Order: sequence, then structure tokens, then C-alpha cells
Amino acid sequence: MSRRVLIIDDEEDIREVAALSLETVAGWDVLVAGSGAAGIAKARENHPDAILLDVMMPGMDGPTTFKELRSLPETANIPVILLTAKVQAADQKRFSDLGVVKVMFKPFDPLVLAQEIAATLGWQEL
Amino acid sequence: MIEDTAAKIAARLKELWRTSRPTILERISLLHSACDRLTENPADREARSTGREAAHKLSGVLGVFGLPQGSEIASSIEFLLKSDQPPTAKDLVTLRAQIADLDAMIASRESS
Repeated sequence: MSRRVLIIDDEEDIREVAALSLETVAGWDVLVAGSGAAGIAKARENHPDAILLDVMMPGMDGPTTFKELRSLPETANIPVILLTAKVQAADQKRFSDLGVVKVMFKPFDPLVLAQEIAATLGWQEL
Repeated sequence: MIEDTAAKIAARLKELWRTSRPTILERISLLHSACDRLTENPADREARSTGREAAHKLSGVLGVFGLPQGSEIASSIEFLLKSDQPPTAKDLVTLRAQIADLDAMIASRESS
């Protein structure tokens, strides 16, 4: 079953590598956005099956973007995985408490990122 | 099949490293600059913030390009600069050594 995943990250290299991983390893359709605002617009328009959301972004950061996604009827139920560089335990708890499906950490292994996402979301195809 | 996928990803990562390299070097340069400014004035909050952000970005990306130890070092720099207290003289010695380690790792990635 083909899935559609939206990657929201301000860093182009991370977007590229994550997209490469999900497309090549899993064969999923990947959408990308370079900011929280652009990501919300793409999510509303395309209704992805999941969103991979960076935490630290200029302007609208990941937690703010997540809250906005949750407040909109058309995106409220899309599972969101936060993706962040290593953080201290207090920050990790703060992010988990937001209500995201999972907090995943950069750097990720491009060969296993898709499997980790599939396992987290209970997607059986991988 | 798995080997094909791994080879395809490795080849593309090699290309992406070339395009990402200038941004990575720019972030290392920001770390050097932050370290210099903090040596002049350990209470320089802006230098700490700039350095912390650069380190955070590096910690997320270096491991993706096969430099996991670089990510660990960048993460350690980020935590050092995250403290509410200005860095001590000892912290600054550590910081300078860690940035030099990152320089060496990037150079070694170039030559491999």
C-alpha cells in the first residue's frame, strides 16, 4: 500500500536525505515543506498519511506547527512524528507531552528511517 | 535488492554531501566565531545563542552523512552553550578542542 508522508524541516539536506530514504526504501510518496506555515498548507491540501516534523525552525517552530495542525479539522487526526537533534531529557518530555506519536532523533540512518516510521505507526508493509 | 537500495542511497548521499558541504562549513565557521567572541567576553549571550544553534544543526546532520561522532561532539557543544552560566575558561578550552575535532572530521570526510 502506498503511503504519503509530509516532511517539514527548514534544512534542505535533511529534507533531501529523509525523502530519499522514504522513497527509495519504502516506495512512499513524499511531500516536503521548508517551514511550519508551508507545511500546514501542504497538509491541508494533500492530507498525508503522516507528518515528520522538525522541532527547531525559524518563525513557526515544530511544537507551534503541531498545535496549529491539531486545531484544524482537516489535519487534526494526521499522526505527527517530531524529528529533532539530540535534546536533554526535560525537552524530550516536553515534546512527548505535546501529544505527538513519537519523538525521533537526528541523525537518523537513511536505511532504517522508513522502518522506524512504519513500526511507530503500525504500518505493516515494511 | 537490499544491496541495490543501499548502493543507491550511498551514491545519492555522496552527491548531497557535496551540496551540503558549504552550509556545514559555514556552521563550523559560526562555531569558531562564537568561540572567539566568548573568549573575549564570556557573557556574550548572542555568541552563545549563535553557537548553540549552529551546534544543534550540526548534531542533526553530520551523522546522516556518516559522521556519527561529529554529531556527538556537536551535541556536546550545544549542551555546553545551553548553560545559563557564561562558559568558564576551562569550558572554552574544551569548546576550542571540540571545534578542532569537528574540523578534522570534516577534512577526513573530504579525503576519504
